[in-house]
Amino acid sequence: MSARNVVTKTEWSPADLYRRLELGEQPFVLDVRNRDEFANWKIEGRRELPTVNLPYFEILEESDGQDLSPEAWGRLVRQRLDGQLPADQPVLVVCAKGGTSALVAEGLRTQGFDAVNLEGGTKAWGDHYEIRPVLESPQLTIHQVSRPARGCLSYVVASDGQAVVIDALRHVERYEEFARARGLRITLVLDTHAHADHISGGRALADRVGAPYYLHPYDAIHPIDVLPATLSYRFLGDGQEFTIGSSRLQALHIPGHTLGNVAYLLDGRFLFSGDSIFVESIARPDLGGRADTWAPLHHRSLGRLLGLPDSTRVLPGHFSRLSEAGADGLFAATLGDLRRRNEGLRVAAGSETEFVRYILASLPVFPPQYVDIKRVNVGLTVPDEERSSELELGKNVCALAQAH
Amino acid sequence: MSEMNTTDGISVASVLDARGLACPLPIVKARQALAALAPGQVLKVLSTDRGSVKDFQGWAQTAKNVALLAQTTESENGTQIYAHLVRKQA
Repeated sequence: MSARNVVTKTEWSPADLYRRLELGEQPFVLDVRNRDEFANWKIEGRRELPTVNLPYFEILEESDGQDLSPEAWGRLVRQRLDGQLPADQPVLVVCAKGGTSALVAEGLRTQGFDAVNLEGGTKAWGDHYEIRPVLESPQLTIHQVSRPARGCLSYVVASDGQAVVIDALRHVERYEEFARARGLRITLVLDTHAHADHISGGRALADRVGAPYYLHPYDAIHPIDVLPATLSYRFLGDGQEFTIGSSRLQALHIPGHTLGNVAYLLDGRFLFSGDSIFVESIARPDLGGRADTWAPLHHRSLGRLLGLPDSTRVLPGHFSRLSEAGADGLFAATLGDLRRRNEGLRVAAGSETEFVRYILASLPVFPPQYVDIKRVNVGLTVPDEERSSELELGKNVCALAQAH
Repeated sequence: MSEMNTTDGISVASVLDARGLACPLPIVKARQALAALAPGQVLKVLSTDRGSVKDFQGWAQTAKNVALLAQTTESENGTQIYAHLVRKQA
């Protein structure tokens, strides 16, 4: 290999990886986690990434057990994956926490590959946050705060130094840091619903900043356990309005995904749609176990949202694929645009019968941990950090399955 | 290596203390410890790495001469200890 003048990076942070994926780069991924973990969740790009799963203990089985130098690891991997690893592009080595993958990447570099380690592994990747401006005007700012590996979206809306956080994600210090850096005071914390796919940071953030936390009371009863919430919240109702500086935020009760599902309309122009309308799909109505009776509610609620003007900017609670982002890196679209290209929304504009049939034919798997996550979000259980992290592993499946 | 003891009615020939060690060390050291045992003997591995639970399952499926007999979790002063009982096969 030719000598290089620049120092080649041997580790990519989750932020590095996200930037590269956004640019459409397609690193070759060598994932050395066990096969179950890989099957549950892997690194995804804007397009499918070339990926091989080779658990590290399968590499070890090829060794004599004595020489475990990086060179030995590199040689074993090269032999095992003979011809599969690209010589002319980066190989991103991934494990759960970034330790074993660092060893494998180092080994592959001794064999002449341009191998880099994903710093902190899939754990750090899942906990990575991105913050993107949606609007920055003198009176009003809106930022989309995401966990891109999980497809979770949240928002900070600020006006006159006051900020509201909508659907705060679990690592609440992110919002506090953001507010501090911009001289904002978080005066209100809102959830669109009791989430099933991730642990809400709403109550915790509200406690830390001394702000009220709102949830619709219908979502304060666990739908499977039929037990009431044990965390405190203020009742949210349809039409309720909140003032943030010079802006007004209105709650719209749109049952369907959950019974207490809410969207928020900001100044009549921005719709924080939570889990109702996504960019490429619509929310599933079956996570309470009653798709047959909740789907008609969902149809009526989507019909209500479809009555908003075409120019309404829809800011959803999830995305399913990185390719849903626009050139600005945002997961957002105007309602007019979505009316045309969002299949679920087109069906929602039709009859209830047809909609219910469509929904029942498009339900993805119901991840068993979703029942537990919702228990956490209404205070019925309090997990430690390790358990929280384990519950949240993987990408959300709050949208209907897509045919394409 | 410690003296013979019994866990869940299984005679343990050797105990490997891998507490505090990060992946891949619990399995690296378990392989080495197992190499010193005779076929049929059982090694007990103690780990604080939660990921070791699935990894030992995967390893036992892959490795030619390893059988995973049992896995237990115990809490010791607030720390979870994962124990894996593996038998060296003939």
